[in-house]
Amino acid sequence: MAFLINCPNCGRRNPYEFRFGGECKQAPGPGADAKAWCDYLYFNENMSGPQDEWWYHNMGCGDWVKVRRNTVTHEITEE
Amino acid sequence: MATTQKVLQYKQPQKSYDVIIVGGGLHGLATAYYLARYHGIKRIAVLERRYIGSGGSGRNTEMVRSNKRAHETLPFYKESLAMWDGLSSELEWNLMVQKKGLLALAHSDGELTSMRMQSDGQRMAGIKIDMLSPAEVKKMVPSLDVSDKPALPVVGAQFHPEGGTVHHDAAVWGFAKTAARLGVDLCTGVEVVGFNTVGEKVTGVKTNVGDISSDRVHVAVGGYSSEIARMLGVKFPVSTIPMQVMTTDVMAPFLDYYVASPRMHWYTQQTLKGDLILGGQLDPFPSWNSYTTWEECSERVAMILQYFPDLAHVRVVRSWSGLCDCTGDSAPVMGPSGIDGLSLDIAWGYYGFKSTPACGKYSAEYIATGLMPEKIKYFGLDRFYNRQRVREVIL
Repeated sequence: MAFLINCPNCGRRNPYEFRFGGECKQAPGPGADAKAWCDYLYFNENMSGPQDEWWYHNMGCGDWVKVRRNTVTHEITEE
Repeated sequence: MATTQKVLQYKQPQKSYDVIIVGGGLHGLATAYYLARYHGIKRIAVLERRYIGSGGSGRNTEMVRSNKRAHETLPFYKESLAMWDGLSSELEWNLMVQKKGLLALAHSDGELTSMRMQSDGQRMAGIKIDMLSPAEVKKMVPSLDVSDKPALPVVGAQFHPEGGTVHHDAAVWGFAKTAARLGVDLCTGVEVVGFNTVGEKVTGVKTNVGDISSDRVHVAVGGYSSEIARMLGVKFPVSTIPMQVMTTDVMAPFLDYYVASPRMHWYTQQTLKGDLILGGQLDPFPSWNSYTTWEECSERVAMILQYFPDLAHVRVVRSWSGLCDCTGDSAPVMGPSGIDGLSLDIAWGYYGFKSTPACGKYSAEYIATGLMPEKIKYFGLDRFYNRQRVREVIL
């Protein structure tokens, strides 16, 4: 795979060491209604382009990493 | 002697239509065909930004089956599978339908129990399913290793005799040719870039060749539905994930059935040409890039070689991938979109090809009548808000 993910603990690593954790979303607040929670849980922006995502380094340090990845070119934008 | 006459003519879109179908893949073409043939709608355009069948329609592994789990969806898949039989004569085009039978291997007692429960549900829906012992599987597929040698040995299997393969390119051309003959305008190189709406009602589409007006627009864009969502300013419950497929050298016939392992995520079949098609797992992260990777190829081959050790000398010669729009509940989204006149046929994940005939039939019925047909009533977008998600498991 032609891209590496920059883990703050382990450095630039192969993405297959990570587990994809979904796109970054804003969770509804404590007073939110059921519809807001359904939107949050099931519906995705699913960008074709740069997208902020969570990746879990399960074969490394076990930390969650926030990554800005272009889903078309797989280019990682450094934070 | 080969004919030099063009099989079908592509058109430039007119200014207005009765129905506009966005997406010239199998679902879009099938919907156009059923609309033109059974609902008497004459002015239909299929808008495709690349070429006919360029997306998932020509990239799938040609498998047709109805051994899903959720009772809401089984009648739909059963009908779709049965519809393939009559399509070759209906479309006057050989779709190379080959109902060779599908073997799904189980590797543990728990999985076998799960398969038995699933089989009972399928039998209730009238789908033919048998449970087989490893010895029976060995008799059917002599090259399969059912001994204790693999890390997860074969302990049984589910046999779905009606499952099989249909040539996907033949299906694309069959629907395209027949739809064109019925007067559907197939417009390639026409990219939809937006929608025209008045209030909550759709009035047409914006394209790279100008606006086209229509009060009924149908979205059947396969793996690209989130691009449509952004044009509409909404979100769909999907993630776009590529699925990779490989083919091998051509060999003498040795494998009569479609063999799959749902647990270990591999399946293989020998095509009529003689090469094996290998595949089975979605990529581990979403992407809009149809790449192929060494990781996927090596993992899939390592899995399959455990059960077919004789294939060790066979080369993988070609690989490709297609984009799958997957929902969390492994079921599609069909019917109303929330905007009047705009209907959806999206989120077909990796089970869109086998559903093509029924999907075209019921999408056409929905567009023509405005009423949600009984067999697809569980596929509406509102199920995500009404706690009515389809209880499907991945297979």
